[in-house]
Amino acid sequence: METEKKFEIVDSVEALEARMAEMRKAQAVFATYSQEQVDKIFKAAATAADKARIPLAKMAVEETGMGLVEDKVIKNHYAAEYIYNAYRDTKTCGVIEEDPVYGIKKIAEPIGLIAAVIPTTNPTSTAIFKCLICLKTRNAIIISPHPRAKNSTIAAAKLVLDAAVKAGAPEGIISWIDVPSLELTQTVMKDSDCILATGGPGMVRAAYSSGKPALGVGAGNTPVIIDSSADIKMAVNSIIHSKTFDNGMICASEQSVTVLNDIYDEVKAEFAYRGCYFLAPEEIEKVRKTIIINGALNAKIVGQSAYKIAALAGVEVPETAKVLIGEVTSVDISEEFAHEKLSPVLAMYRADSFEEALDKAEQLVRDGGYGHTASLYINTDEKEKMAAHADRMKTCRILVNTPSSQGGIGDLYNFKLLPSLTLGCGSYGGNSVSHNVGVLDLINIKTVAERRENMLWFRTPEKVYFKKGCMPVALDELGTIMHKKRAFIVTDSFLYKNGNTKPIEDKLDSMGIVHTCFADVQPDPTLKNALAGTAQMRAFEPDVIIALGGGSAMDAAKIMWVLYENPDADFSDMAMDFMDIRKRIYKYPEMGRKAYFVAIPTSSGTGSEVTPFAIITDSDAGIKYPLADYELLPDMAIVDTDNMMTQPKGLTSASGIDVMTHAIEAYVSIMASDFTDGTALKATKLVFDNLPTAYADGTNVAARDHMANASCLAGMAFANAFLGINHSLAHKLGAFHHIAHGVANALVLLYVIRYNAKEVPTKMGTFPQYQYPHALRRYCEIAEYNGIKGKDDNETLDLFIEKLRDLKHAIGIKDSIREYGVDEKYFFDTLDEMCEQAFNDQCTGANPRYPLISELKKIYTLAYYGEDDKKVDF
Amino acid sequence: MCGLLRGSGKVMIMKLNKKDIILERKNKTVYKTDDAIIKVFAEGHPKTGVFNEALITAYVESYGVKAAKVLWVEEIDGKWAIATEFIPGKTLEQCMKDEPERMEEWLNKLVDIQLEVNGFKADGLRNTIDKRAEEIKALTDLDPSTLYELQQRLHGMKRHTKLCHGDFVPSNIILTEDGDYRVVDWSHATQGNAGADAALTYMSMSLTDPALAEKYLKLYSRKSNTAIQYVQKWLPIVAAGQLKKAKTEEETALLEKWISVAEYQ
Repeated sequence: METEKKFEIVDSVEALEARMAEMRKAQAVFATYSQEQVDKIFKAAATAADKARIPLAKMAVEETGMGLVEDKVIKNHYAAEYIYNAYRDTKTCGVIEEDPVYGIKKIAEPIGLIAAVIPTTNPTSTAIFKCLICLKTRNAIIISPHPRAKNSTIAAAKLVLDAAVKAGAPEGIISWIDVPSLELTQTVMKDSDCILATGGPGMVRAAYSSGKPALGVGAGNTPVIIDSSADIKMAVNSIIHSKTFDNGMICASEQSVTVLNDIYDEVKAEFAYRGCYFLAPEEIEKVRKTIIINGALNAKIVGQSAYKIAALAGVEVPETAKVLIGEVTSVDISEEFAHEKLSPVLAMYRADSFEEALDKAEQLVRDGGYGHTASLYINTDEKEKMAAHADRMKTCRILVNTPSSQGGIGDLYNFKLLPSLTLGCGSYGGNSVSHNVGVLDLINIKTVAERRENMLWFRTPEKVYFKKGCMPVALDELGTIMHKKRAFIVTDSFLYKNGNTKPIEDKLDSMGIVHTCFADVQPDPTLKNALAGTAQMRAFEPDVIIALGGGSAMDAAKIMWVLYENPDADFSDMAMDFMDIRKRIYKYPEMGRKAYFVAIPTSSGTGSEVTPFAIITDSDAGIKYPLADYELLPDMAIVDTDNMMTQPKGLTSASGIDVMTHAIEAYVSIMASDFTDGTALKATKLVFDNLPTAYADGTNVAARDHMANASCLAGMAFANAFLGINHSLAHKLGAFHHIAHGVANALVLLYVIRYNAKEVPTKMGTFPQYQYPHALRRYCEIAEYNGIKGKDDNETLDLFIEKLRDLKHAIGIKDSIREYGVDEKYFFDTLDEMCEQAFNDQCTGANPRYPLISELKKIYTLAYYGEDDKKVDF
Repeated sequence: MCGLLRGSGKVMIMKLNKKDIILERKNKTVYKTDDAIIKVFAEGHPKTGVFNEALITAYVESYGVKAAKVLWVEEIDGKWAIATEFIPGKTLEQCMKDEPERMEEWLNKLVDIQLEVNGFKADGLRNTIDKRAEEIKALTDLDPSTLYELQQRLHGMKRHTKLCHGDFVPSNIILTEDGDYRVVDWSHATQGNAGADAALTYMSMSLTDPALAEKYLKLYSRKSNTAIQYVQKWLPIVAAGQLKKAKTEEETALLEKWISVAEYQ
């Protein structure tokens, strides 16, 4: 019963469908085989095919009446031995690749049931090839032979099947259509999982239109160019060797040879000397009408000898004639010799220049061989010509000094070109692949990717100097160690007039460093403002820039620095938001080639002396450019409390609470790390303990000193862990309603904490390190560090918020946006726009909770009226 | 022979006289009356065939083509008959015979009209590919390999929607006295590839006047701005369809030669 079933003839759609159903069962078993089992089968099958190469070759020639037995023996030998050799050690089952460090693993799985269409030109070798690569990949294969070659194709497949089964493969893992028809070929294609279609354009189109993934190949029309620099003997004999191979039936075989004028006669003589027959003009005409009928290839000449084709055309040639050569001029498709001939008939063209030869070859490829193969004989020192040839040929194989029949199939004349009897023609030929098809095309690769955490960093200026009175000492380095010659000071007019630049200038003078000062930085500096400074900077050509002031002066100086170093820098590119600063599209220009950058803060503060951020406004275009890149990090920060004693009360209060917000946001950021946590926590404590005093008594040196350090520490924290939506909301509040940045932060702070602390947020932030919503715990850690402890985290959070509220009150910050004179109607008129912009703010990305725009709107609304923060119930 | 004939909505009795016969074939007899051409099919001719021809012609009329309109279909004495309007004028074939010195002009006319016809979108008609597939499938005498190649070739063709006459030869074009034209006999019309339609014309002409056929093909290619190969690739397919209708051994030999081609690989 089993045997009977096995040999049931497939001659109808029903029989075929039944066979394919059986094959699917067999394949399901095959899919469980180990690499070892598969390799054993692969070896046995290849061995059997190899041993049967002569009888199979004889059978193919006998059945099809095409080609040469001896050459078909080589093809069979190649299909067995070379394919086995190429893949003997290739992993095709289970885990084929693993990198535990990156947590990535690749697992090979079979595709399933492969449909194979086998052409008449290579009926046994292609069958062997396709069967072997399917066995190696644990796929079942159903073969649709050509009616003209069905017996030999089936014999080859059966032989491989028997050997495979004997070696342990499931019964029926290879099968075929016994009585081929288009209907059955279509069924095979439609019902398979993938199609290996070898054949002409019609077959390839049919494969692609079946709706199944297809590895189809198309027609070739290989043009050869023999350059003046070529080794003529080698070239001519390689072409003859290739063109006569199996009577010219390999699709990669040469169809035309274009010879440079200066060597034409010599090439012609060599062809003639080696037994090729040059057709006389009237003979050319006769052969034309014989090889091509109405633009199509005469089936009767395919794979026939030169002598036989000549006889069909009524031309007498010696029986030993190897190739019929027609010396023709037109490369147009109307010239019969310009077509693919699948026989030992060759067109020969003359070219006056290499360029003309390229034109001809390009046209020949376009007319009949898009994507297939092109060939060039040349001295390989002629790099430019070779590059031009490779550039012009729209073919997926470009062979140099190589017989194209044997060369194109790979591993014979070049050992890195994959051996294959299915040659991809790329999109040029309407194919899905452009390489020589192999086992990797017949597996599904499953990639197992384990969660990995990003590398993080902690970046600060190379030098951060601090302590009251440290500035002149720190500046000393500019002269004594760095030998700077020209210093450019950037500050605002208040500080300049107040004499704050004086100690710097004195120090520079004492070291003989020439200096100048741009003292016109405006609050919230504009691009125009920065450009004015840049112009002055360019004229002065400093080798050190010293920024003195609050955030505005330091930011403006950073912008001038960028423009000074990179006059062509584009702000809109630099200001482009990023998801991950390491993966941003825009690559910042390298800084520091012209000038060293020193930042000296006079407020506490923005922390800009240690951050990679700068904000500049283009008031003409109405665009605010927030720039962020570590190239903007100052080289030296000098935190000297002597520069901070003159801060007015309002500034102390606003910038002080800004410091607190920096520290808190950096601590709960999804990018927070042990490195940023330390500075952030310390900053919160310094602010809690010293800001009220610094506010109440500006002359208190200790409080000012601690606040200076807090500002710088918080700056380091958020320079690396970044911020969150507190800042997103504050930025837009400032932009729309002109509220000082620090105050704006304070107005939304308590609501944002409540919002972020939710244990069931609508959405959480995306970052591998951020594993689950844990902002509540993080806020409590800050609280605990500051000595606040409730009976549980919720109470601790309540107490922490109360302490922050007390701090705000202590430094004179009001409870609501309304109290800062923001008109209610105007506020709500602009609210939607403000929410969308806040959502889109660069700071939003690092927030532990990914906000909905509607949620931001609720926060703004509560903050406007100064509502109880406990109303944040969303 | 007489029967009830409906013309312009009026029922009338009309007698078909032997003297009105203009063509007699095994399967049909064609009469000409004052304003109609009446094709009477032999007994046993399928009813579906007659109505289908009427339907095709009705579709063609609906596109706005200058066609001889179908008037009615009727069973007369057990034989199905179809009437189309009579177009006074001279066929292009006749013009070519009468005034061969104006051949270039006639050929231009042929191509121009064909391109005009091809310019219509033929929704509703059967697709050329399906019609040819059926023809090829019926060629059971052909060797399986050739049949397979032909089917594969056809299967690779794109499905277009242009109006194809299916037998666009000079004898089916009538030049009217007012200088206009009408195209008759739409029974083979399909929607499809204009190249296929031109291939049929080229083949028909090749069987009688190969030199003229070549001229036609070049002219068609130039005027339609398409490559000759676009038409040529259909030749094995249309030749296969014609094989059974070949009248002489030479015709058979020519068609067989056309069919015996291999696909490029």
